[in-house]
Amino acid sequence: MKNLEVPKIYSIKSTEKETLGKWFRLMTIGRAIDEKAPNYLKQAIGWSYHAPYAGHDGIQLAVGQYFEKNKDHIFLYYRDMLTALSSGLEPEEIILNGISKATDPSSGGRHMSNHFAKPEWNIHNVSSLTGNHTLHAVGVARAIKYYGEKAVAISSQGESSLSEGFVYEAINGADKEKLPVIFVIQDNGYGISVPKKDQTANRKVANNFTGFKNIRIIHCNGKDVFDSMNAMAEAKRFALDESLPVLLQANCIRIQSHSNSDKHELYRSETERNYVIEYDPLAKFRRLLIRYKRFTGEELHEIEESVKKEVKAAHRAALKAPDPDPSTIYDFVIPDPVKPKKYPEGVHNEKGEKIKLITALNETLKAEFRHNPDTFIWGQDMSNKDKGGIFNVSKGLQQEFGPKRVFNAPIAEDFIMGTANGMSRYNEKIRIVVEGAEFADYFWPAMEQYVDSSHDYWRSNGKFTPNVTIRLASGGYIGGGLYHSQNIEGALVSIPGVRIAYPSFADDAAGLLRTAIRSRGLTMFMEPKALYQDPRAATVVPDDFEVPFGKARIRREGSGLTVVTYGNTTHMCIEAAIELEKEGFSIEVIDLRSLIPLDREAIINSIKKTNKALVVHEDKVHGGFGGEIASIIMEDAFEWLDGPVRRVGSTFTPVGFHRILERAILPNTEKIVSAARDLLNY
Amino acid sequence: MSKTCIIYSFNSNKTRLVAEIIADAFGKGKIEKVNAETITEEQFLSFDNMILGVPTWFDGELPNYWSEFVPALEDLDLQGKTFAIFGLGDQEGYPENFVDGIGILAKLLEERGGRIVGETSTEGYTFESSAAVRDGKFLGLALDQENQARLTNDRVKKWVESLHNFIK
Repeated sequence: MKNLEVPKIYSIKSTEKETLGKWFRLMTIGRAIDEKAPNYLKQAIGWSYHAPYAGHDGIQLAVGQYFEKNKDHIFLYYRDMLTALSSGLEPEEIILNGISKATDPSSGGRHMSNHFAKPEWNIHNVSSLTGNHTLHAVGVARAIKYYGEKAVAISSQGESSLSEGFVYEAINGADKEKLPVIFVIQDNGYGISVPKKDQTANRKVANNFTGFKNIRIIHCNGKDVFDSMNAMAEAKRFALDESLPVLLQANCIRIQSHSNSDKHELYRSETERNYVIEYDPLAKFRRLLIRYKRFTGEELHEIEESVKKEVKAAHRAALKAPDPDPSTIYDFVIPDPVKPKKYPEGVHNEKGEKIKLITALNETLKAEFRHNPDTFIWGQDMSNKDKGGIFNVSKGLQQEFGPKRVFNAPIAEDFIMGTANGMSRYNEKIRIVVEGAEFADYFWPAMEQYVDSSHDYWRSNGKFTPNVTIRLASGGYIGGGLYHSQNIEGALVSIPGVRIAYPSFADDAAGLLRTAIRSRGLTMFMEPKALYQDPRAATVVPDDFEVPFGKARIRREGSGLTVVTYGNTTHMCIEAAIELEKEGFSIEVIDLRSLIPLDREAIINSIKKTNKALVVHEDKVHGGFGGEIASIIMEDAFEWLDGPVRRVGSTFTPVGFHRILERAILPNTEKIVSAARDLLNY
Repeated sequence: MSKTCIIYSFNSNKTRLVAEIIADAFGKGKIEKVNAETITEEQFLSFDNMILGVPTWFDGELPNYWSEFVPALEDLDLQGKTFAIFGLGDQEGYPENFVDGIGILAKLLEERGGRIVGETSTEGYTFESSAAVRDGKFLGLALDQENQARLTNDRVKKWVESLHNFIK
């Protein structure tokens, strides 16, 4: 986009005195707290992480002044103290966050200090991962545009964060979708100690995006109040009027070290350190106010004295605030899912025609889209004429619900995941389903967003939860080799904050998907793709079927051995049970259906009856979820065991492409029969 | 007789040194030295010819003292005034904004009727872009004490000679 002039709305001569006074007051408060913060650490009170903002004063003031609470959405980064104040946070709230009190509006002491937020105003709680929230801003802007609201999303971040691939994905997405996002790049020249010449070739990183079609690039002096205010005014006007993104790069200085764990004397010369002090933005603003006779020195002194008192009072009040209560650590890990009323155990006796697992998923998606008009789905290969999803699970959705609710995403898994998180921030009614990747094996680029989303609820002290269901076609038995056959749940189960469902039958797939979409929170929905068309997985599915999380289903009752399984291997375990029954053994097969939460009770009760346990899954034995199940059995059911807990799963190798290799690696009925027989004979 | 001054920051190091060389080149005491950090509108308007020293700060900005004078400058009528600008920059470290300060100041002065003299050739410099370049020439004297300090004296000498055509 060509360079356009930034109108001069604000200047030292024309801006009203009251406004200038308000700005000076905010800037003085900010600087007072910024300079006081290290004392809290020295006195062992807290604020162990503090990233001073001094030198970013102009742009931070401006961004906050142009944020309209409860309308716009803003994502601050860890250096944004003045932005937070300028957005409306009180000095006491800043200190409550700094010293991690239970009443900290950002996280109640759960998240790091200097991470300022107030989710109830749309000042979102963000990750420490630099630039991670850029995708959330794009996601929420998608909702702003969809619902036709006249508002913007603002993502504030340092210039080094633009080295992150996901920031590129975000800017590309905002440009492509023409979204009202203002990316504010606060350029102080350093990523901790790394100078910007080591980040990218252009000194002004925003210029890396000059070839983008829709985004407007604005540069400003982030140290100068008026230049920053004018730039931000124009950025917001443009984003609102044109519904297009803006990249606003503000040149700042970092007067202090990166944070209190950094020592900039190690890598910045004295000359440089003095040079930046000389351009102290607050001192410059103060000089201007006096030089142009807008305020007298006495008037400014009066403001400074009153700020001292205000900050002192805020400090005292914050010190009296309660500390976090250790008994609350399990609060807000994940919201309670909906509890099915008609199908409390997630079983049914419906008679009729069986449908395949893929059909059950497709019909459930359509039913849920009809049920809730605020449901959206996107992913790669999501919709192009008759193609709907890589395996056509979502076939026909776009035709019925339109391209604004059902659409393709770029080949950018992190973007898919991150914008889902962001869009769900818009309101609680929204439910998002994503195909997280073409195959589960390709989900890894999205892991930073997955991990971040997993702790949003906990981190925000229950103020925000991403209401997102991630669908992934998972597992092998299709001759797909690496990238088309792996199981990834073993790596995911150690991350708290996400429900993980892994159905084996059409009815459970439908019921769990419905529950996932209707529930608040994040659900990883693993689809055993080898079963999409498999007649063994076909069942009758009631139209309104729901399956609760954490309720296993006993697929076959028995008395001599408990087999705990899920996904593809459920069918093999049933076949193994049938085969071993011919030899006179009685085997109980438990289909977990959801791994998190886990139905411990079903497992333990079964073992009390059978006294032996075999855990079977397709994922690797080494590090697989079976290890956790086996440990639970040892801890809770040891007294009832008449033999060791055994595990069957794949080898500690990737899944090979050639069928011979695949067979050697993945579990099968024969391997299960053999392990079960050994255990039965133990 | 027209009145001439040279305006620069008395607190600066490199710019001050160059300013003193320039001032001396006109002959000791011939032109008045004025501190850019404290200059007033009245002072500014009291001269007919002004040589301005403006280093470029950060990625193409005016130093704070010039920046703080800009609001005053914006309201001045500079018709009949002649300006020659010299500026220090770093063409290797900041090749995208080499001596931008010269261009920023020149534009402000011209828009208010001021006449800019002392254009110089861009030959002998290696940079990518500069707000100081118009029609292939710098709008003043570009100096690079970081990378071409040994060329400074000669460049200043030639520039001052060329200014004699305008500033008597």
